[in-house]
Amino acid sequence: MAKFDLQETPRLGGYTKEFGDSGMVLREITELVLTSLAMPMGGKTKLTAAVKDTFGLTLPTALKSKLSTDGQTRLVQTQPDQYFCLTSKPVPSAMASVAYVTDQTHGWVGLDISGPNVREALERICPVDLDPSAFPVHAAARTTMEHLGVLIIRVSKDQFCLLSASSSAESFLHAVELSIKNVI
Amino acid sequence: MIINHPTLGPRDAAEFVHLGDATLMNRPDWQAEDAVEQFHEYLYQRDNPAGDYRELWYHEQGDRSWLVVTRNTLTHEITDVQMARDVAMQQAKSS
Repeated sequence: MAKFDLQETPRLGGYTKEFGDSGMVLREITELVLTSLAMPMGGKTKLTAAVKDTFGLTLPTALKSKLSTDGQTRLVQTQPDQYFCLTSKPVPSAMASVAYVTDQTHGWVGLDISGPNVREALERICPVDLDPSAFPVHAAARTTMEHLGVLIIRVSKDQFCLLSASSSAESFLHAVELSIKNVI
Repeated sequence: MIINHPTLGPRDAAEFVHLGDATLMNRPDWQAEDAVEQFHEYLYQRDNPAGDYRELWYHEQGDRSWLVVTRNTLTHEITDVQMARDVAMQQAKSS
């Protein structure tokens, strides 16, 4: 039998781009582990306690993600009774006793977009209001950009994390990249 | 058109999928004596009001929730938006 030596590569090959002297930077997020936690019916108390023990966090509500104090874990509510866990290493297996846990890492592609024109670039493709009063730091929303489903999170004033389907990663990158080029 | 989602705020209608009349939530009992008549009503009969109309919308490109939206069919004005799960739970309580 043939012997394969397989090596994991990032979905977009670790794409990173600085756009001239505009200060705009677009980068593939390669170090992210994505896990979906679906809450069993009537299991809120147990899940809340487990999330507190494991990550030191309370369960997030709609539109507001929660970031742990060490910055290693972010929790986002993706729909009623479902949460996305953004971590640097796999979620402890004990979580499986309080939630339906699904590894989502390779189904998604992550882009980190930052710079002074970040809102101008995103407002052309993102229908959600990104004004700091409506979408402050740590705000999160699921929406579409160029017809592609996106989970958008505000990391800091001029920095956003965009997660979209890995199957259309190149198209998504093209959409965001083009939008940046249009505003610098 | 903008739909004011109860938990997510105003969202573009492009994020939603339209299903139809909100009475689709009230599925008849398949074991009832007159189940055939009830299902005929449920499947084929629709009111077609010129005015306020309750309909189901699905937030497919958002939080995947079902909504009961009251929309005026003449003006497209949306006067009420509720989570369908809340509506269903209220109905279950009151029945």
